[in-house]
Amino acid sequence: MTFDRDPFVLLTGLRDWLLVFGGFVGIIFAATILVALGIYGTSGPVAVMGRVWQGLHDFTHLSPRRIWAISRLTILEAWRRKALWVFAVFAFLMMFAGWFLDSELRADMQLKNAVSFALTTVLWLTIPVLLLLSCWGIPEDIRVRSLHTVVTKPVRRNEIVMGRILGFSTVSAMIVAIMGVVGYVWVLRQVPEDDHPRLSRWNRMCLAVGLLPNATIEPDLEKGLPEIDVTAKKFCRMPVYGTLEFVDREGTIASKGLNTGDIWEFRSYIEGGTKSAARYKFAVNEPVDQVKLESRFEAFRTHKGRIGQSLLVRYVLVNPKKSLRVPLPSFEIKEFSFNEQFIKREVSYYDEDLKDTRTVDLFKDLVYFDDNEKIKHDVLQVEVQCLDSGQYLGMSRPDFFIRLPDRSFLVGYFKAVLGIWLLTVFIVSIGVTASTFVKGPVATLLTFSVLLVGQGFREFMIKLITGEQKGGGPVESWYRLVTHMNDTLALPDTVSVQIMQGIDKVLLSGLWLTQHLIPDLSSFLMSPYVANGFDVPWGVALFRSLAMTIGYLIPCLLVGYYSLTLRELEAK
Amino acid sequence: MENQPVIQIKNLTKIYRDFWGRKKVRALNSLSLDVKKGEVFGLLGPNGSGKTTTMKLLLGLLFPTEGEITILGKPASDVSKNEWIGYLPEESYLYRFLNAEETLDFYGRLFDMSPQQRKERSDQLIELVGLQNARKRQLKEYSKGMTRRIGLAQALINNPDLILLDEPTSGLDPLGSRDMKDLIVKLKNEGKTVVMCSHLLADVQDVCDRIAILYAGELKELGRVEDLLKEQNETELLTSKLSPAAIADVEAALAKHSAKLIRHGHPTNSLEDLFLKTVQKSQERPGQRYVPTASEKS
Repeated sequence: MTFDRDPFVLLTGLRDWLLVFGGFVGIIFAATILVALGIYGTSGPVAVMGRVWQGLHDFTHLSPRRIWAISRLTILEAWRRKALWVFAVFAFLMMFAGWFLDSELRADMQLKNAVSFALTTVLWLTIPVLLLLSCWGIPEDIRVRSLHTVVTKPVRRNEIVMGRILGFSTVSAMIVAIMGVVGYVWVLRQVPEDDHPRLSRWNRMCLAVGLLPNATIEPDLEKGLPEIDVTAKKFCRMPVYGTLEFVDREGTIASKGLNTGDIWEFRSYIEGGTKSAARYKFAVNEPVDQVKLESRFEAFRTHKGRIGQSLLVRYVLVNPKKSLRVPLPSFEIKEFSFNEQFIKREVSYYDEDLKDTRTVDLFKDLVYFDDNEKIKHDVLQVEVQCLDSGQYLGMSRPDFFIRLPDRSFLVGYFKAVLGIWLLTVFIVSIGVTASTFVKGPVATLLTFSVLLVGQGFREFMIKLITGEQKGGGPVESWYRLVTHMNDTLALPDTVSVQIMQGIDKVLLSGLWLTQHLIPDLSSFLMSPYVANGFDVPWGVALFRSLAMTIGYLIPCLLVGYYSLTLRELEAK
Repeated sequence: MENQPVIQIKNLTKIYRDFWGRKKVRALNSLSLDVKKGEVFGLLGPNGSGKTTTMKLLLGLLFPTEGEITILGKPASDVSKNEWIGYLPEESYLYRFLNAEETLDFYGRLFDMSPQQRKERSDQLIELVGLQNARKRQLKEYSKGMTRRIGLAQALINNPDLILLDEPTSGLDPLGSRDMKDLIVKLKNEGKTVVMCSHLLADVQDVCDRIAILYAGELKELGRVEDLLKEQNETELLTSKLSPAAIADVEAALAKHSAKLIRHGHPTNSLEDLFLKTVQKSQERPGQRYVPTASEKS
């Protein structure tokens, strides 16, 4: 997973949402008017307009007390029907999970596993419960006719849908919150002792909730342990990613580096001991006393190199406007781990031209305004060079970043919990809406399909739509299967093949529409951020999830309202 | 004001269709009737005659195929009309996981009632329907009669002007039945309008001012109960006990007016009256048992 996603821009998102939502509403409205005109003559469109007017009236005359009454009923129902037994399963898993997590791993990896396990458990225990509750609530009410008594009161149908969604969302909030807290305490208990040898369990908990924000461990003189800053281990990194371009061995700028033969092209490589380099440009704002750089590079060796030593790497700070190049001391990279480097405000270096040591100010001398259309900001340019000739250093954009002051692990963890809750709200919205027009099992299947398409099959669908997936569309792949034709062979240019591909195009257009209608649900899953020690960024992850939830909630309310309004509850 | 129609039904037709839109059954056919303010109106008819369909159309649970319904001056599809309506369904379709207090509180909330109003009204209604001792029990533990009682309480939570009762005495014992009928009369005396449909003709006769008889979705009779039941060609006299001689004199007197005595004998009480008297006595004198008479013993 990459932690470097494009930030969510509210206005762009809102514009896109309005376009899609408005487009759909417009198409459905026009189609309904036409059908009504065709069937009922001029009275048809009048009736349609009447329904629209009634809808507007109902949505502007909502009663919070009635909505809350239905929500409260939903919560009581979940409670009395023992839906919260899910806690027992959770408690059982938490009691014994520690036995199965590898305690031989590095401390940070153990922490990563514990966080992943806790959050994944919360997610996969909550989703089925909410899926079933939301999809069966209204159909069951209709079946036993308790809804019929409700609608003989002055209750609007949108209040029923809203009340149900709010109720189930509250249930999910309670489940997720309680599990989140228990999971958090469990994670703290799972943190390996090596990581904080001098802290009591109580102090660890205080530390995690921010009561001991800067606690450090005193060195143990007898055992000779160094001073360890435990806060760094359990706090969330705040990365600032830059742009990346490569310089090849001739010194020419390129968008990609070398490919060392790996089929996975996420990372590009620079060649050691040549002019080859990677240039990162980081947007910077306020001057600070020191900048922390963090990187995670991958080495590719063509020879053994220096036994027992890693690759040598050097950062060069560059200001092209002042033709200033400031090389920093070289260092050995830590493979499969992060390299942390600090650059102080005043940087001293040996100037090859002046043959003397020179001191420059990081922000006055090295930070410059980049005119590039995509950047247009004050930037700090850092060039990464590999000093070992014949060796290669691989990197991608998210592999190197400026690390801002860390944030609380507690906050990061609960942001991830919030993401899980937003996902359950999304599922509840879809489930309740589906249950207004189909019965429980069908609504469950429908909502589960949305989940599958939104998360599990999304990549595959995109590959199918973009043509990346070899073998063509459904009909073509069926043809190839039946005729035992390899997917790399070209199909004969016949009329039947053209018809087959035409059908595929139509089917793939439907798939395209489905893929665009159903959101990328992985945006809701923020546990990898926390597990890998990163803060969950509001702009990139949480706002996106929140906007997505609201963006789907509104059409769901409309569909649910009209579905319940237009159906005869007592129809035989 | 007494004659102001609370419900106006004009040419109401309901056709049930199948999934493909094909006609399945014509449940109501051009039904037209008015229900006036302050009256107790009974809908009678055999099974499948369209009574419950009419009730559901009034409540907006079904949509009419043709025709118009106006309730309290508003169309049946208007949700706001429900502010003044109370409905007791045939089976009490309530949330079985709630107790009596919670049930009434829930329905009170749906009427936007304040917490204090809900509390007062709930207490009042629980007492009215005699569920004081079961107010904290979940409805799933209730007997059918108790469920009907709480169903009635929820129908009255908003102090409605129009009360629709679908088989109100179904599932109730004779005591409960009598209480229900007394309540209907009490509601009528308070100026409320009651529409009920029932199979129990005696109940309808006891409480209804006017009735409509439906058969196969069509209106067959409509009018005041006493007018419909009155036998115009006969006269009924009720006197104190007469000797055989007095009866002979009566016959002679009637003969003078070209009339004849059709039947004479002692009037009988209804079984309901006997049952109620027995229960009342039992409550007054607990422990007293039935003692066979001498003739029964022999």
